Amino acid sequence: MQKNTQLILVAVFLCAYMKISAQDNFNFQAILLDSVLTKNADAIVRSEAVEIVINSMSSVSVRTRRAVTVLNKSGEQYADKLERYDPLIKINKLQVTIYDAVGKEIKKYKKKDFEDRSVYDGSSLAGDDRYKYIEYIPTKYPYTLVFESEVDRSSTAFIQSWMPIIGSGHSVQKSTYKIINSSGVPLRSKEINFKNFSIEKYTTDQEISYTMSNVPVISYEVYSPSYLNTAPIAMVALSEFSLQGVDGIGEDWKTFGKWQYDYLVAGRDQLSEKTIKKVTQLVADANSDKEKAKRIYKYVQDKTRYISIQLGIGGWMPMMAADVDRLGYGDCKALTNYTKALLDSQDITSYYTVVYAGERKRNIQKEFASMQGNHVILNIPDEEEDIWLECTSQTTPFNFIGDFTDDRDVLVIKPEGGEIKHTKKYEPEESTLDTKATVILSEDRSISAVVEMQSKGIQYSHRYHEELKPLKDQKQHYKKYWSYINDMNIDSIELSNDREDILFREKLKINATNYITKAGNRLLLIPNMFNREDTNLPKYADRKRPLVISRGFVDTDEYLITIPEGYDVSLPEKKTIETDFGSFSSQLEKVNDTQLQFKRVLKINDGVYAKEEYETYRTFRQQIKKIDKSKIVLKQLQ
Amino acid sequence: MGNLNQIIIGVILVVSTGIYGQNYKFGKVSKEELLETAYSLDSSASAAVLYEDRKVEFVFNQTENSFDLVTEVFKRVKFYKKEGFKHATNRISLYKKKSKEEEFKGLKGVTYTLVNGNVIETKLKKEGIFKNEIHENRDEVRFTMPSLKEGCVVEYKYKIISPYVFNIDRLYLQYEIPIKKLEVSFESPEYFNFKKFTTGYLPISLKESSKNGKITFVSKSRTTNNNVSQTNYNSNDLDYKINTYSISSSDVPAFKEEPFSGNPSNYLSSIVFELSYTAYPNSPVKSYATTWENVAKTIYERSSFGKELKKITYYKEDIDQLLAGISNEFVKTQKVFEFVKKKMTWNKRNSVYTRDGVKKAYQNGTGNAAEINLMLTSMLSYARVDANPVLVNTADRLFHLFPTLDGFNYVIARVKLPDGSIQYLDATDKYGEPNVLPDRVIRGTARVIAKNGTSQDIQLRPQKPSVNNYRILCEIDEQGFVKGKFNVIHLDYLAHDFRVAYGNKKDVDNASRIQKEYEINELETYTIKGMQEYGKGVSERFDFVTEDQVELIEDEMFFSPLLFLKDKENVFKSDERKYPVDFGYGFSNKYMINIKIPEGYEVVESPVAGVFKLPDNMGAFTYQSNYVNGMIQLVVDETINASLIPAEQYPVIKEFYNMLIEKEGEQVVLKKI
Repeated sequence: MQKNTQLILVAVFLCAYMKISAQDNFNFQAILLDSVLTKNADAIVRSEAVEIVINSMSSVSVRTRRAVTVLNKSGEQYADKLERYDPLIKINKLQVTIYDAVGKEIKKYKKKDFEDRSVYDGSSLAGDDRYKYIEYIPTKYPYTLVFESEVDRSSTAFIQSWMPIIGSGHSVQKSTYKIINSSGVPLRSKEINFKNFSIEKYTTDQEISYTMSNVPVISYEVYSPSYLNTAPIAMVALSEFSLQGVDGIGEDWKTFGKWQYDYLVAGRDQLSEKTIKKVTQLVADANSDKEKAKRIYKYVQDKTRYISIQLGIGGWMPMMAADVDRLGYGDCKALTNYTKALLDSQDITSYYTVVYAGERKRNIQKEFASMQGNHVILNIPDEEEDIWLECTSQTTPFNFIGDFTDDRDVLVIKPEGGEIKHTKKYEPEESTLDTKATVILSEDRSISAVVEMQSKGIQYSHRYHEELKPLKDQKQHYKKYWSYINDMNIDSIELSNDREDILFREKLKINATNYITKAGNRLLLIPNMFNREDTNLPKYADRKRPLVISRGFVDTDEYLITIPEGYDVSLPEKKTIETDFGSFSSQLEKVNDTQLQFKRVLKINDGVYAKEEYETYRTFRQQIKKIDKSKIVLKQLQ
Repeated sequence: MGNLNQIIIGVILVVSTGIYGQNYKFGKVSKEELLETAYSLDSSASAAVLYEDRKVEFVFNQTENSFDLVTEVFKRVKFYKKEGFKHATNRISLYKKKSKEEEFKGLKGVTYTLVNGNVIETKLKKEGIFKNEIHENRDEVRFTMPSLKEGCVVEYKYKIISPYVFNIDRLYLQYEIPIKKLEVSFESPEYFNFKKFTTGYLPISLKESSKNGKITFVSKSRTTNNNVSQTNYNSNDLDYKINTYSISSSDVPAFKEEPFSGNPSNYLSSIVFELSYTAYPNSPVKSYATTWENVAKTIYERSSFGKELKKITYYKEDIDQLLAGISNEFVKTQKVFEFVKKKMTWNKRNSVYTRDGVKKAYQNGTGNAAEINLMLTSMLSYARVDANPVLVNTADRLFHLFPTLDGFNYVIARVKLPDGSIQYLDATDKYGEPNVLPDRVIRGTARVIAKNGTSQDIQLRPQKPSVNNYRILCEIDEQGFVKGKFNVIHLDYLAHDFRVAYGNKKDVDNASRIQKEYEINELETYTIKGMQEYGKGVSERFDFVTEDQVELIEDEMFFSPLLFLKDKENVFKSDERKYPVDFGYGFSNKYMINIKIPEGYEVVESPVAGVFKLPDNMGAFTYQSNYVNGMIQLVVDETINASLIPAEQYPVIKEFYNMLIEKEGEQVVLKKI
């Protein structure tokens, strides 16, 4: 395919030759590009220049010029066409220029041509973030888009980081970043993942600059590390700054956390006497702080719901606890602060905690204090182990954070200062799914079964929401879950969420009219009916990056299968596989003349493995898949 | 108007029988309502509208000397479970232009909760109400109700005053959550005449009547007599008739989306009022849409349609050059169509009118649907091909039963060739071919306009099913590995959809998609042909080895002769269905498979032939197998002729797929000799 592209490019070049010679601007021609940059690329950042001037603690100017050559439709995402703003950001200049393949200017958009929109957030009730954008419809690829903007901000709490690589579809011809600090306030910086890249660096007292050139595409591979952990990033922060009109200070997490506590969190926890009295009653007969906290958490869950309101400093400062108490809603900051206030009223210490939430684990940078995170949870230090509370959910059990905020570095904000802690990690043995079934096979090819499943840990968090859905949706879910069972009917579904032991139970009665295939006097069927491997990992000729299994689990299955009378079965051998990534075993045994027992155990270990290991892992999962769908034959006794 | 309307319009107008017992006045929430723990008719409902009163009426505005459209809403909602709380947040969209904007007024809301047997009321205050400018022409008011608890009831009411009297929003009579009691009314002065139609599968009881209305005009005049000024007030009364329409329904079930729905919004219960003409006193009647014929004519007469069609100078030279020496109309059509497709990129905007105009669009290389296809029609006419524009209502919009100016939002072209054959063309679609149109068009409705302005309904859904022809030639070795050659040709709409989905993918990506989908262990020499050759099919071929298709148990081998091509999952999982299954177009998968069995084995069992058919020739499945000289030969045909399958046939189509999957799963047994 690569060859084809080159052929096409040559053809364009030849046809366009006369035009080229007539052009002045060769800068953005997109037909003579280095194959180092075009290989696997959807777009090439031709030249990116970000210049940041910090004028004072409350004034920063950012000048951006970014030229991106878009090679195909998927490359569109890398060509910036918008600038975000809020009431404290002033956009002075905004311009987009489009160049065709030979570098000839074909279109120019000035600031007045940009459309103005509210940042439409589906879950947000209110917010004052807006953006200006243009819509450019490319008529041909490649083309080059040059985005230029000049913006003044009065908030200096966030100073744009340098992130020359932002995805797996683009290469970088050149990216420069320069920050000039004339504010007199000390500027700190942190370089992350620089070691595998050649980056020119220049620093003086008042200036830091970085340049990176000719970096090829880092292609996406499944189960690979996040680019945040591999691509170069330079973070910068002022030791004294302004956030939406609020002054701040911070040199390290301790001082930075202290400022956050003093200016954003403290004093927002007053509650009415009535509420305090109610809570005091609620926890009166509880015999430990943990039990008290549990009751208070339940109280919050019953009383509140998540509603996002992000206006001005309200994007960083929680709503007053008394307001949440009255209105019964708030965002993550408000609900966490409210829970904290209720705990405080019972002399239980808890801390407002900033985190990067999401299924993909992301740490707060331990070694660099700055405004970070996208979510807030609550930390209760307990004798043995920290307790973590997700306050935005009405259904999550006490001290259960699931895969939303598990196993990552977070910033715990204490009155005396900030502290980095690590949230709970769910070990494979804690994330289990046990499936037990009793199955009756009939000669008419049908099966009927009672299936019981119990899940814990991360597997619990993936399943317990099913209980909250209407029956019709539950039926659809299980029909999809066992989609390989054709014409399956569900007679009953019983789900129960044990929030105390954090355990989800599912019990289903099902039947399927033609699960068994008939071939002459033989009945054919797959004994693994309820838990088949379905991962389908791609094969890489040349895997480039390590294998990352971010969470492990253990699945166990036991089915008691009653076969029709007058049939005999020859049992397959027991299969076991042991690897570094985990283990697997599958076996079928005869209990008596008409009953078989199927047993299966799959354990996957989390961890980071060398890139060479990927193929072994893929083969491991592939083997499991094959074993999981192997059939047995029941032969009619003559 | 095609077969869509015949299927979806099964609405019966029933005389209303109101059931009153509850007090439906604001503030009169009963304890029974608060105590209710589940919705009696649907225990899975997380929330329900207990009562809604929606009034839309025309109110005379003295200052502006014109009518305003006033919408008043009162809603009482019950929350059974927390999952339903999202229905306590509302968004109201307000249209605005420089001169006039819609006004949102009188929002009042209360949450009622039962605490120890006492009803606690919490009022909605300003802190819970926000107004946000979405863009230049649209504001949005959002509000959320305070202090929600499971079991609580909320009430709110508000008013929208709009100067835009010609656009009556569709009045919804069904939601995602059930409605216990609903009252909707629409009142319009005799000067405005509306046509109405309903959608959905639920019966709707509409009552029509009329009443008297009066407007009092007060005018001021100054007279001067003998240097004494005097102000006189005159009042004039204007009596007029008001037409009223009201709908009262109860126990409306929640609406649910199903797979293959086309545009599900067509099946949601609602009533639509569309302005057909205005007749002010002492003014001539102004007609907006009386017949489809009229609608088409009105559109044609607009300068951003008819005039744009007549412009030729901007392309004249290019087309002259393109068609130099060509006289065959078929070839001309093909050339011009390919030319426009290549030159123009659609900006994803549907429109029946040009925006920047054809000339500017031509220069920029981008345009909306009208610009691109009017340009195409114009060029073809210029080239003396019999071409006319076709107005289309795209599939994402509500299907209009009655003539309305808003009835179309898209344009394509129709060509009549000398041999009498007809080609429909849409140049917005880079993968388009004559008579192969994008989904948005074929699922919609259409009307062709002739040069003299007359028009006619047309059906764009293809009449015959599109075909995928699969061929496998393979052999099984002693280990049970299957090694062979695969080849498929996608034709017509299936070729089109294949190009849309994979047209800009690399070969390696397509190969890995196949490898994943069919679970093939080794895949080599993957090639695609015909990706750019419109009018022909697209073929994919590759060599494969698959290790998992054949099961070896003792001295026997078991496998489904369709191998990795067998259908695995029935997409129709719901037990019942209230509205039609919409496939868009008919399709046919034909398989021809030859399998050489390993030396030293014989066939001891193989699936028998089978045929089953859907009623009314909607579809059929045939399965034939044969064993000759060590080769198993299999011919299978899965055909769905009907692009739309009515709801009452749902159990049949579901069973059809069940049987098909079962048949395709049947096994061949080989035994070692």
